[in-house]
Amino acid sequence: MSDEIKKEPIISLRNVTKSFQGKKIIDNVNLDIHPGETFVIMGCSGSGKSTLLRLMTGALKPEEGSVLIKGKDIAKIPDEELDVVKKGFGMTFQYSALLDSLTVEENVALPLKEHTKLAPEIVDIIIKMKLSLVGLRGYESHYPSQISGGMKKRVGLARAIALDPDIVFYDEPTSGLDPVVGGVIDHLIKDLSVKLAITSVVVTHDMQSVFAIGDRIAMVHKGKIVEVGTPDEMRNSENPYIQQFINGKPQGPIDLFKEDIGIIEALGLK
Amino acid sequence: MISSLGKFVIDYLKWVKGIIVLLMDILYWIFLGPFRGKTAHRESVFSQMVFVGVRSVIIVFFVDIFTGIVIAMQTAYQFEKMGASIYVAALVAIALCRELSPVLTALVVAGRTGSAIAAELGTMKVSEQIEALDTMAINPVRFLAVPRFLALLFMLPCLTILGDISGIIGGFIVGTGSLHINPELYMQTTFKYLKLKDIYTGLTKSFVFAAIIALIGCYEGLNTRGGAEGVGKATTRSVVISFILIILADCILTAFFYFSKV
Repeated sequence: MSDEIKKEPIISLRNVTKSFQGKKIIDNVNLDIHPGETFVIMGCSGSGKSTLLRLMTGALKPEEGSVLIKGKDIAKIPDEELDVVKKGFGMTFQYSALLDSLTVEENVALPLKEHTKLAPEIVDIIIKMKLSLVGLRGYESHYPSQISGGMKKRVGLARAIALDPDIVFYDEPTSGLDPVVGGVIDHLIKDLSVKLAITSVVVTHDMQSVFAIGDRIAMVHKGKIVEVGTPDEMRNSENPYIQQFINGKPQGPIDLFKEDIGIIEALGLK
Repeated sequence: MISSLGKFVIDYLKWVKGIIVLLMDILYWIFLGPFRGKTAHRESVFSQMVFVGVRSVIIVFFVDIFTGIVIAMQTAYQFEKMGASIYVAALVAIALCRELSPVLTALVVAGRTGSAIAAELGTMKVSEQIEALDTMAINPVRFLAVPRFLALLFMLPCLTILGDISGIIGGFIVGTGSLHINPELYMQTTFKYLKLKDIYTGLTKSFVFAAIIALIGCYEGLNTRGGAEGVGKATTRSVVISFILIILADCILTAFFYFSKV
């Protein structure tokens, strides 16, 4: 990775701030993601990691700061240009987000049919290729409701790489899956990023996955980046937040209940 | 009290703005989209037309034929006293074509199709499918709302014509069966009093109702929030709001046709 880190970052966040209903969810974040690396964003539920991902995909716009993808500030460019940027990346979703009314094949074909003028035979070949990459040949005519959760995630992945993107965003790729299927998905993410030279940005709180696939890892807590480093740096970090998170300890600086009022106050007894 | 009233007004204005923006968006994709090489898919328009139109034929037929029968019996009750039973034919036809068929058909379709649109789009919204489309640079309004809008705009007037015919058949059954009017005379009277403008004012109404059903169903669906409960709420809201707006629009259009002597 060390040579690639010297390259220009493919995704770059500069002083990005985003709030919902007056509450800062992302607080002045700076982040560089380099071409070809697998970058993992980890953090507790509600830490802002999914919001961070949605800022990078252009689904949300920051109040302050800029989000640069291949040098373009996606918060400021017009919709037509944003569409061009969007065609250059793929995304997989926590609950797969396949269109229920379309078959597996039609789901994967959707971006191809929408954005290219390829002949149907060529589209067919591409679909078969993409489905083989995720190990799902033979399921072309199944509907999403007829396949398992792990398969849906793999179809989602095939759809994300349909247009041969440079960047793929993964939102919780292994959540809700058993460890073996989770391992298969991890392997697939790593494999695709090597085979297709894809930059991967993965949001997860699955520790097994974090260390299995990450080239670099960022830990997010309360909308701020706590630390960024390689898996080894993170394991050996003395930062108490990171140690608590990696080891899953209930006590430590990450106190999820601290802001809650106690039951006595809640009942109005005090 | 005042603050909650203020919040209600602001929410209402936001809702109206949202509906207008959606309408503009839909019109943009229908009229200007083709120049950018992006338009709604013909297949999805056709499949929506089947769902909206073909699948509603039976319910529209039954609702309007029974309405025709009821109107015929209720008016015959009065007209028989005056010895004017033959005018049942004219009254049924005019009442159905000008008013009852467009409104009843629209209400049936709002209940059947408007709710289905809101539920389907709402489920897509809460399961991230709309966001997935957006991430793939596929505009959800073009991909989902435009086919539904076009299908309704085309099929609701067709269903209304079907309703007109079935209503007249209903009146015919009562007129010839129970009032013993000569079948030929019944049809002659119907066409003597039924003017073309009665049909096209009815069809004008059904165009407006179609736009209302599609807009409300799509808007409520695309703006669903918060899981299964949100989908339920969106579905209910789409039906309630469509019903109110259909009746309101009917009132306004009828007044317009009446005072402008169309």
